[in-house]
Amino acid sequence: MMQFLALQHYLAVGAIMFVIGLVGFITRRNLIVMFLCTELMFQGVLINLVAFSRYNGNLAGQAFVIFVLVIAASEASLALGLVVLLFRQKNTLDADAWRDLKW
Amino acid sequence: MLGAGSTLQAVADTGSTNYLIEPMVILLLCAAGGVATVLLLPGPKQSPKLGGALLAVAGLVLGLIVLRFTAGPAKSDIGPYFWIFSVIALCGAVRVVTHPRPVYSALYFVLTVLASAGLFILLYAEFMAAALVLIYAGAILITYVFVIMLAASAQNPGDRSPLAGLAECDTVSREPFHAACVGFAMMGVLLFVIFDKAELIPPPSPEPAGATVMPEEEVHGSTQSIGQYLFQNQMVNLELAGLILTVSMVGAIVIARRKVSGIDERFEPTSETISATATPVNDDPHSIPVYGTTNPRQKSFPEH
Repeated sequence: MMQFLALQHYLAVGAIMFVIGLVGFITRRNLIVMFLCTELMFQGVLINLVAFSRYNGNLAGQAFVIFVLVIAASEASLALGLVVLLFRQKNTLDADAWRDLKW
Repeated sequence: MLGAGSTLQAVADTGSTNYLIEPMVILLLCAAGGVATVLLLPGPKQSPKLGGALLAVAGLVLGLIVLRFTAGPAKSDIGPYFWIFSVIALCGAVRVVTHPRPVYSALYFVLTVLASAGLFILLYAEFMAAALVLIYAGAILITYVFVIMLAASAQNPGDRSPLAGLAECDTVSREPFHAACVGFAMMGVLLFVIFDKAELIPPPSPEPAGATVMPEEEVHGSTQSIGQYLFQNQMVNLELAGLILTVSMVGAIVIARRKVSGIDERFEPTSETISATATPVNDDPHSIPVYGTTNPRQKSFPEH
């Protein structure tokens, strides 16, 4: 019988978390919650990366996690600045208020 | 490994195929999860109890099916912790998506981050766990909560309904059915690929992953190994990461300081405006009248 936690266990957790974040990003209309859902997708990817790093026996995955954290931090600061700016213009956080932004 | 895999298939699978999990089972579980998510999402069709029960049943079935692979006398004792952390992380993630109040979403996201840090520790990535808690739960989420509070609309204190004070964009979700279809179809495909005919991949050895990089007598944990790996192999990338952080900091300050035309003039009067006649600040008859003060005990001035 199998007696170990396989790589597939961690990959499944990461995939489910990514999909939950994706569904939230599509359905929620609050701009802040939408960005929170992108962070949730980041979490799923990070679990995958660390699991690959462990099961491959090298450190490339963990180094990648550091860079993903850097990008997430800068994305959060820029995006939240933009959200504050958008909120001051229309006085709502509804993403549908910006429907007229078409190509 | 091969023998164990074939034993597992002989025990578990019914057909002649050698899937780890039957595709129909994955499909059914994903459909149940999608329906439950539609019921849980805020909106007119919301019924949290039924949705939560359905989601719990689907998750329990999936968990039991996956748990089958780890059955038997456990060689490693991290199995229960994996299940606990996974359940906490996934339940927190569902609540992040389905909670109508953004502050609670952010707090549930902290819960998810802490549980994933636990998973990282199980994967011998202690430094990653600490960095995750510090950066995500400590820094990014505080920023989120501040922005949520800055952008909150005024709440009517008399309203006692559960959705009191929430904007319409928080209480009605956009296209929950289609989103659940897309998302859970993707989940089905991902889980099918993960649990396809592949073998279960065992962890390499009880040692941390860093042990393969360094000679064994110099290893003090994976943190030191990561530091040496970063500064020996990823030097340029590390400097670029610092540059990106600096640029985004400057950019965030520039964006946040920008004046929005037509909005700020409303709140801040451009010059000093006099709204009332000058009144003395107290009852002393020799005090100098000051603009913009009102003295409640003041006798009414004689009109000119």
